[in-house]
Amino acid sequence: MLIFLLGFLATCGIGLSAFLLLNEFKTKLAIEKREKDSSRRIYELAILREIGDRIGYSLDVNQIVDIITSSLHQFIEYAAVSYMLIEPEKVIFKMHLERSVHRRFVTDIRDRMLQSLGALLEREFKKEDVKEVLSGAILLEEVDEPVRSFFNIPLVIGDKVVGVLTVADTKGGLYKEEEMTILYKLIQQASKAVTSLQAVVKAEQEKVSAMVESMEDGVVMTDADYRILVINPAAKRVIGKESQKEITIFDFIDNLGGKMDMRGRLEEAVKLKKNHVSERFDINGKFYQAFVFPVKSDTKLNADDVFGGVVIFHDVTREVELERVREDFTSMIVHELRTPLSGIQKTSELLKLPQKRGGAVQTKKFVDIIYQNSSGMLDLVNDILDASKLQAGKFEVQLEPADIGDIIENRMQFFEISAHDRHIKLESLITKDIPKIPLDIQRTKQVLNNLMSNALKYTPDSGSVTVSAFVHEPGAMIASEISKLKLILPSSLPEQMFPQNKRALVVTVSDTGVGIASDLLPKLFSKYQQLNNATFVSNIKGTGLGLAIAKGIVEAHGGSIGVVSQIGSGSAFYFVLPFSDTPLAAKV
Amino acid sequence: MKKKILVIDDDQTFRELISSGVDKEQYEVSTAADGVQGLEQLEKSSPDLILLDIMMPRMNGVEFLEKMQSQHADKKIPVIITSNDSSLDTISRGAEFGVRGYIVKSNESMKTIMASIERVFSETKK
Repeated sequence: MLIFLLGFLATCGIGLSAFLLLNEFKTKLAIEKREKDSSRRIYELAILREIGDRIGYSLDVNQIVDIITSSLHQFIEYAAVSYMLIEPEKVIFKMHLERSVHRRFVTDIRDRMLQSLGALLEREFKKEDVKEVLSGAILLEEVDEPVRSFFNIPLVIGDKVVGVLTVADTKGGLYKEEEMTILYKLIQQASKAVTSLQAVVKAEQEKVSAMVESMEDGVVMTDADYRILVINPAAKRVIGKESQKEITIFDFIDNLGGKMDMRGRLEEAVKLKKNHVSERFDINGKFYQAFVFPVKSDTKLNADDVFGGVVIFHDVTREVELERVREDFTSMIVHELRTPLSGIQKTSELLKLPQKRGGAVQTKKFVDIIYQNSSGMLDLVNDILDASKLQAGKFEVQLEPADIGDIIENRMQFFEISAHDRHIKLESLITKDIPKIPLDIQRTKQVLNNLMSNALKYTPDSGSVTVSAFVHEPGAMIASEISKLKLILPSSLPEQMFPQNKRALVVTVSDTGVGIASDLLPKLFSKYQQLNNATFVSNIKGTGLGLAIAKGIVEAHGGSIGVVSQIGSGSAFYFVLPFSDTPLAAKV
Repeated sequence: MKKKILVIDDDQTFRELISSGVDKEQYEVSTAADGVQGLEQLEKSSPDLILLDIMMPRMNGVEFLEKMQSQHADKKIPVIITSNDSSLDTISRGAEFGVRGYIVKSNESMKTIMASIERVFSETKK
């Protein structure tokens, strides 16, 4: 019994050991497989990486396939690896032989590849179009073995078949699923890389070309032989050849007519690597400045290698016009100052002469002349100072609660005499409900002075000038507010100038004068304006700064100024100052 | 008899200076603020000399000369241009109308202006 028991135990022991052994074997196998798998995977990855690195940012399919094929033998067995790429005029066929084969082997593969290309692209390729390049082992007559293993992979870039890659051997049954998977992965990876890289490059190129196309500046790029490589519409516009498709350097030479030696400057750029900035020149009514510089083939690598030149035509018409306006403005000011100064000088000259009969009367007259002339000059100088403050954005107002009605009445008295002299009816229309609002009294007077003196100036004798002031209520239509006031304006005021959600003081100065042409209206408030319009200048003297200053003052109050006009029936200038109902303590 | 001078100038100061500055024993001065007023004056009387500004509103000096030649050719009134516009264009236009002298107003003293007036009168006498 004991023996039996022992025997049983022993049997169990053997059985157990056998079981353990079997298990161990299985595990070992699994580990081995896993190791083999993982080492293969590591190897695959290493190769993929190596290929990836070597491909880098190359976009040359030829080069990429070369890299792949030269690495392929590391994990696939073959006698020959070859690829076929379709180029516009020919089909490139490159084969690398690991072992010597017969010529027939090569021809066979070539024909098979050509056939599969044809099938893939549904197109027929002729043998004559194939450009063959062989490398590696030599062809041998003795090794007359046929193709027994063969595998084809299409090369796809951006959804387009560009060629095929093939591995082949004289031994049979070589290419199984495993090898094929690796090869597929490889090709897929390369194809993906190139596809996305090409997309990036294309997007970048599109950005650059869109930029060049839409540039305001004219851009012309030439090669080292001055053939135009890139030209944008702005450059064509410079020489008035917008619609001409093909433009050569001669079109520029002919049309620039010696104003800028484009060919010579490009030569300096290409041969001497010299930059050039041209003088301003005018062509087709516009002014340009041209910049010429060399184009280096690679900004980093071959810094000295120049392959062409670039000319940029920068339109400076606006600057030239502004300069002209400034010059005109300066000469206008000099003229405006010279006249009263020369008056003062001549008056003094007469005062120095021995006094004649009626001397006292005469002297008073001369002193009056000096006073008037110097006052005029002072006004002018003050205007210029104000204008320069405006330009520097330093216009400040001293706000205090003020009654606009009082200010207007004060100005009415001031202008009454000159209006009366010319039989002009000067009237005011001020509603009683206007609260005191924060105003710079002196500056507000200055605005009224300007608007009222202009109105009087441009209104013929026996006309009328009306100054009105009222409160615009939020949400009310300005047209109905005006008609309630029985105020007659030459044209209706634009509703959008009046706030929707705030009360606002509205002041209008309207006249029955000559009116202002509609194209001039938007320019009236800009500095130097009078100069830009000859008829304006010849009729009325002055610096033309007044309205620009008035606008600055109104805007410094947080308001806006505007004008409506009708030729022949008159003009109405108005300003709008929005205010809050409990402003006094806070705003002062 | 006093010589009559017509001053056509938009600068009030200049008009007053000529009126006050000339020898009242010898000259009688009338004034006009622009070419239009100048022509109105010509309708009323014939001055012996015109001092004419160029840059004026409504009707400038050159336009005035054109009008005077077509409407008052018979009067043959000597003209001195008194203007700050000394451009060649103005001078050559003036020459077409037989202008007798040019004075760049702001640059010359009253004395020089008076001397020019006297010179034209003495030449006319001859």
